Parts: sequence; C-alpha cells; structure tokens
Amino acid sequence: MNEASKGVGSVVYEARGLKKNYDGGQVAALRGVDFDIREGEFVAIVGPSGCGKSTLLQMLGSLDKPSEGSLSYRGRLISALEDPSDYRSTEIGFVFQSFHLLPTFTVSENVQIPMFETGLSRGEREVRAHELLVSVGLSHRLKHFPSELSGGERQRVAIARSLANRPSVLLADEPTGNLDSENAAHVVELLLKLHQELGMTLVLVTHDLGIAALATRTIRMKDGRVVDETTPLTHAS
Amino acid sequence: MTFFTVVVRGLIRRPVRTGLTLLGISIGIGAVVTLVGMSWGYEKSIGKQLDVIGIDVVVSNMSGGLMPKVFDETLQDKVAALPKVADTTTVLMLMLSIEDAPMMMVSGREWGGFTWEKLEVLEGRLPKDDKEFAVVLGKLAAEVLKKKVGDTVQIEADELPVVGIVDGHAVVENGAVILSLSVLQEISSNQGKVNFIDVRVPEGTPEKEVMELCETVNGLFPEGRAKLASEVVGTSQGYRLARAMSWSTSLLAIIVGVLGVMNTMLMTVFERTHEIGILLAVGWKRRRILYMVLCESALLGFLGGVTGVGLGALGLKILEFTPAIRGLLEPDLSPKLLLTSVAIAVVVGVVSGLYPGWRSSRLSPSRALNL
Repeated sequence: MNEASKGVGSVVYEARGLKKNYDGGQVAALRGVDFDIREGEFVAIVGPSGCGKSTLLQMLGSLDKPSEGSLSYRGRLISALEDPSDYRSTEIGFVFQSFHLLPTFTVSENVQIPMFETGLSRGEREVRAHELLVSVGLSHRLKHFPSELSGGERQRVAIARSLANRPSVLLADEPTGNLDSENAAHVVELLLKLHQELGMTLVLVTHDLGIAALATRTIRMKDGRVVDETTPLTHAS
Repeated sequence: MTFFTVVVRGLIRRPVRTGLTLLGISIGIGAVVTLVGMSWGYEKSIGKQLDVIGIDVVVSNMSGGLMPKVFDETLQDKVAALPKVADTTTVLMLMLSIEDAPMMMVSGREWGGFTWEKLEVLEGRLPKDDKEFAVVLGKLAAEVLKKKVGDTVQIEADELPVVGIVDGHAVVENGAVILSLSVLQEISSNQGKVNFIDVRVPEGTPEKEVMELCETVNGLFPEGRAKLASEVVGTSQGYRLARAMSWSTSLLAIIVGVLGVMNTMLMTVFERTHEIGILLAVGWKRRRILYMVLCESALLGFLGGVTGVGLGALGLKILEFTPAIRGLLEPDLSPKLLLTSVAIAVVVGVVSGLYPGWRSSRLSPSRALNL
C-alpha cells in the first residue's frame, strides 16, 4: 500500500455489526460493534476487563475472525483476504501486553523475524533491525536475549519488531499493562512519537485513562458493545 | 540471521531431546548401513571372486539356500561341447562349520581346472593330485582357523592335512578351504555331484553371443540356469532372501526412526504453539511455518543419518573381523550405500515432520497466542 493510495483522513477500518461468539454462541465477546477509524488517527479503546476490546483488536489484526458482521481494511473485507499473513506482515504492526518475544532469539533477531516474508536480503534485514533498535533506544542491546532485558526494554523491542515491515497501522494491546509507571511512560512516549512523526494510525487498547486521554479519539466499550465515543473536543468539555 | 538459523535454534532449544532423537535415528541408520552393507558386500565379494578367476558364465541351480543345489557332473561334457565355449571346470562348493568357525566356504575344485590357476602359493604347496586327501587354506581361512602348513583340518568326519596356504586375490577365495573335487565329493557323500560349472568363452566374444550360449545351456539343464558371472549372485534365492531380510530389518529400523522423529517434532510443535502463534501474528505465512518444521525434521534426519553412517561403518568394520564373517565377504562401504543411507534419513525426517508441520501451520494465531 503506497502513501498516495492511502489518502489523508480516508477510512482505514470500517466495522459494521461486528459480533464474535465463542463456545458455539454460549459466550458473546462482541455483540454488534460499529465504528470507523481514519488514516492517521490515534484511537484508544477502553473499557472494563472482558468487555471485548482485546477481541476487537485481534480482529483488526486478523488474528481472529468475526462470527457476524463485516470488518474492512481500506475497503477490503479482512475476513475475505486471500492471505491474511500478507496483511499482518506488511500493513500492520502488533504490540502485545506480554511482549511475545521469542526467547531463543536475540533482540536483533526478534526484530528481523517479520522481515522474512518481505524478500529483504540478510544484510538488509540486519541493517533495518539495527536502525529500528537505535530508534527505540536499544542499540546497545542488539545481541542480548529477551531474558536479559527489563520489561520496558522488552516492550521497546516488541515495538521495533512491529515496525519491521514499515506498516501504516500500529495495533497495541495494553502495551503498558506489564510495565512500571516509568517504563510505561517511555513506551507511551515512543508510541506517540511514531504516531506524530510518522503519521501512523495507532489503535491502542488500554485500561489506563491517562493514556487514553492522549488519543485523538476514545472508543469506550462495555459488554461487547461500543457505548461511547469521545473526541478531543468532548475531552476538553 | 538466516532462515537456517531459525531452523537450528528450533532444534537446539531442547538439546537433550534432540540428542536422544539423533541417537535413535543414528542407531536405525547404523542398522541399515550394517545390514545392507553386509548384503551388498556378499554380492560384491562373490562378483570379485568370479572376476579374479576369470569366469564368464556360471551354470548352477540357484533355487536352494545360499549355496546352489548339486547336480550330475556329466552335464559338464555337454556344456563343453557347445560352440563358443573355450573352457569349463566343475566345482562343488559347500558352506560348512569347520572346527570353531561357524560357517566357512569349502571349495572342491576339479583337478587341473582353471579355478586353480590364480591361486598363489604363499606357504607349502597345492595338492599333488586329485586323489590326495589334503587341503590348502586361503590366507584368511588360515588366520580364522589358526592353522599352518602341517596342521590338520576336520571337515565333516575326516581330518585332512593342510599342505599349503594360498592367496586367491579375493576375499572369498582367501576365506575358503580348497581341496580337490573328488576328495570333497567323497567326504561329503556327493559322489558324481557338483553345484557349479564355470565356463570361459573365447576372449572378445560379444555379450549377445554369451547370452545365446546361456540360453542353449538352459535348454540342456532345465532345472538350473546359466548366468553371466555378473548376474549370478543376484539370482540366488538364498541371497535374495538374505537381501530381503536385511532390507526388511532396515525398514523396521526406519519405521522406528520415523516414529521417534515424529514424536520429537510433535512435542516440539506442542511446546512451541505459543511461539508459532507469534510467528503467525507477525505475518509469517502458514507454508513458511510448515517449511520451518519440515526443515527442522529434515535436518534432524540428516544429522542422524551422518552419525548413523559413521556408526554403521564402525559396525561393518567390527563385523568384518569377527570369525563368523571373516573370509566370507568384504562388507560394502561404497559411497552409494552411504549416500543412500543419508538420503533415507533425510526422507525419514521429512516424512516425520509432515504431520507436525501441517498441524502447526493450521494453528489459529489468536488461540496459539493465548496458550
């Protein structure tokens, strides 16, 4: 997806009547969700535990499929994508609460993992991983293993990995959930920088209303439904 | 980092389990190398013996065990009278237990026949005539039986003096106890019987004419077959049985190897479900996951194959020097066998990885991540 085709402010995600059931319909995680997310937005999804916000983010990342309804990415149904791995590999970056780094690979190798699907040479992968790790302030940790890093450092590696294939959308699921306040602040600062400097669309699931207040828009969920949407204007009021 | 690095990391994350699996494959492939190496070695050794003696066609009845059935020696006159036959000689060859050796080749040769020509006397002499109750020993047979010139060798109920030690320039020749045909016929109660007529054709005879000669002999000897020397071992029923047994035992070892690798790969995949979920979440295609698992199992097979070939080669060397085998055959350690064994191991690896690979590639990323 090149920059010209994206168009500033165009709709990136469009969800209509999105439902997700588990256990043969016994458990309804999403009960009909509608929203649009536009290019360059920073959208925070908030709500109590079990309200369906992580399920929603997994659908945005095509890690799961909706039971009903439609979810489109730039006008194409995600559930109808021929190969969702292409979408996951090049269009989005995913940051998880528990980092999900591969323990037997070094920091640099973890960042290179997503690049195997892009046809970059070994040298190009190494150079790009190095650049990304410099940008998240971890140039001194290239050869370390995840077990040798602090929680904040691990999350910064995960952010660098999510940027490996230069996606236009970053999906973050409670990225500060396992971090102390100092590390959490660093991570949030980094995500904001990516959003503001690179113009990335950022969709962030959080419990932390302080972080949500930094977003351009907040989607509040409860019991599998969107109950409220706030913009900076309503924040201010 | 290359994709190969990813594959290797997958294997070394559980070094003990990987090591034990490698050991299992190695033992299986070692068994393949040893058993098939013995079987091929037998064929090669007999082939070399026939080549050294200079036999072009062998007439025998190979329907019995390892040694062909005996038949009337008068057939030789009919074969000798055929056109394109330069020379013939008869042999009675038996596999007998001689003293402490469980199985030795005892070769009774027509006195004056060309099968005596290539024997080089190292010590002593050859029998004086076809009536002398005496044997010469191939140099390996002398070692195995721990005999020297002047000692005696017990064959069946008779004790025969050793009058010479010879070098026959082939393992089977050197591992044999050699005596005159008439003496062996007498002590083994096979008077008038032989089990080989060895035939030489004039030098430069085209293979087509040799084949025609074989056909003519087959007409004279319907219960037996005339074969080119190069084909004679492969048509022996006993040899075919031994070859089938070696391959079936090998197959068993291979199946055990497949199950071992499959178990390891399944365990690996189960353990790494979360990791595979991460790979899927960051955009790896399902076929790359499958490829990764297959490469891991193929690498496991390859390494097991290489180690197994080493073990098998060692096994063959040990067997080569055991009294039961020494002098009967020279185990085959040809590049063909070694490469075939490694290729089998790699195929074992790939086949074993198919199901675990397929399973891992079908994982749902969200479920895998939540495990």
